[in-house]
Amino acid sequence: MVTDAECKRKTYIPMLDELLGGGMPAGTSILFTAMPGVTSEVFGYQIIAERMRNETDVCFIYTNTRTPVEIEHVFQRYGWDLRSFLDSDQAFFIDSISPMMGMPAIGKYSIDDFRESEKTITNAISDIAGGVAVIEDISTLLDSIGVDPTFDLIERLNKEARSNDVNMIYMFTRWNYEKVMLDRLSDIVDCEIKLFSVEEKVIYRQVFAITKSNWIKTSGAKIFFEVLEPGGVRIFIPKLLVTGPYNAGKTTFTKAIAPDTVSVERQTFELFPTTVGLDIGHIDYKGFSADVFGTPGQERFDLLLEPLGREAIGTFIVIDSTKPETFVRAKEMIRMCRTEAIPKVIIANKQDLPNALSPDEIKKRMALWEDVPIVPVSAANRQGLDEALDILFSLIYRI
Amino acid sequence: MIPKIRSGIAGFDNLTGGLPENTMTLVYGPPKTGKSIFCYQFLRQSVEEGDLCTYLMTDYSLSQLEQQMMAFNWFIHDYISNKRLYVIDTASGSVGAIQKETRNMMVSFPQNPTDIASKLIQQLQSVYQQAQRFRSILDSSTTLFAFNSPILIIRVLKSYTMRIKMAGGTGLITYTEGSVEPQIETMLKATVDNIIHLDGEELTIEAMAGLKHEKASYRISDEGIVVQ
Repeated sequence: MVTDAECKRKTYIPMLDELLGGGMPAGTSILFTAMPGVTSEVFGYQIIAERMRNETDVCFIYTNTRTPVEIEHVFQRYGWDLRSFLDSDQAFFIDSISPMMGMPAIGKYSIDDFRESEKTITNAISDIAGGVAVIEDISTLLDSIGVDPTFDLIERLNKEARSNDVNMIYMFTRWNYEKVMLDRLSDIVDCEIKLFSVEEKVIYRQVFAITKSNWIKTSGAKIFFEVLEPGGVRIFIPKLLVTGPYNAGKTTFTKAIAPDTVSVERQTFELFPTTVGLDIGHIDYKGFSADVFGTPGQERFDLLLEPLGREAIGTFIVIDSTKPETFVRAKEMIRMCRTEAIPKVIIANKQDLPNALSPDEIKKRMALWEDVPIVPVSAANRQGLDEALDILFSLIYRI
Repeated sequence: MIPKIRSGIAGFDNLTGGLPENTMTLVYGPPKTGKSIFCYQFLRQSVEEGDLCTYLMTDYSLSQLEQQMMAFNWFIHDYISNKRLYVIDTASGSVGAIQKETRNMMVSFPQNPTDIASKLIQQLQSVYQQAQRFRSILDSSTTLFAFNSPILIIRVLKSYTMRIKMAGGTGLITYTEGSVEPQIETMLKATVDNIIHLDGEELTIEAMAGLKHEKASYRISDEGIVVQ
């Protein structure tokens, strides 16, 4: 018996095959929609590089943004050998860029005028039955030949690909197009994968998520990735940082959001047990998976903060709502973690105590230089936790 | 009071108080009116003040930039070797020269704005970790328009401007007047905050926060642009 997963064709992008239920059914199309600035070309290249090597697929790349020579160079940087596949005709180019730049075209096919792309690409698809085609970049087509002709082209190519069991991989940079157009584009492909970023003033981390699939229910999982040269797409396990002044309840909070948290700690014989090492846990929440790091609050451990802050994608700053005298220290810790550049939420902890200040009062007392959300929480009573997580994740995943 | 930074052109700074910080300025005009020299002076001021600077160059390589500035007795060698300058060079890219890249020296291609954007982001990450304010130069958008559909480049410049400003930068974009349709030119002007026109004799501030339409005559000497 053939299982469902065995019928699928692997993309060889880590995590993506698991999320797609094994890979892509033969003859389907995938659109990679990338926010400008996010590394995207590697996805298409990795799929064909790995499939040519592991599955002996025949593949082609249609390009209107890079010359074939540049593409070969990019493959080399990622550690994939394109040359020998080109030499053995297992791979070829449709060169739509060189003629435009006044250079001789390289490859089996070339296109002088974008408007005449259809016949050439259709022929190429029938040449590679059972293989994979990469088309880059849709945004250049949209702005050169217009929206409707581009959509017509994609629909005809998809039809040809279905009858030849060819998988189409479309690369698309999402500049400021209208939403209506983006939705229409999404409608004419079988699967859409969005590449976007976690940012606060600058792009900080890159994420991919399947936002549409005709063959599997999308889970909403967001996968952090990094791109290595050589190596290609690698999964990155994001870290959330929990920081704050001494005795604000960081460990209690960390354990409340990540129940399996291990405290790498040594109990000190002080009035309160406190963390002198790290609290390390893991959280799976609404499709989001991250390691959680709780830091110690005492000043003698400040050296730890910077390296942790550099790795983090989001921060909870836990404060004791009954102790306004510690707020200055909280601000200092925000600075030391270098968390200015990542999304953060202030956890106004110990709201169950009678003398706790309200979030508004805390905002006034802290005199924050920017608008950081403050969430009332009682970590001990597990109150306000979901709200805190929702707010931080919504900041992280602003698309 | 709008915080200003020095452009590096003394007469211009006296006239305007400098360029408004954390804004994008379009410097445009016919060929050979001093647009690139405006950029060199802006870069020289960055060297002077120890600012970081990102530089997207489409018509010359880094060594050509160094030579052109040397002609004015402006030296950027130390500034480059101290990694204060972040270059994306699409001029070498367009002639197929492939060289080793570093964070400070990247090569891209005029017809591949996706690649330019992704390299810019990598540089802005480095810059932002070191400084909350910096300068940026794009000389010249004309080449990008020539290699791509102009409407695509308007999208690219919008994204570019947003990225630079979000990271805390103050930037210049140059453009050769008349090289795209008037309609695109209007969209380009709507993308930036300030507009400076150079015609070879007169410098006109067409738009700048807090300023009226100012005009001044200028000439190009061996000390660069001199505004009278």
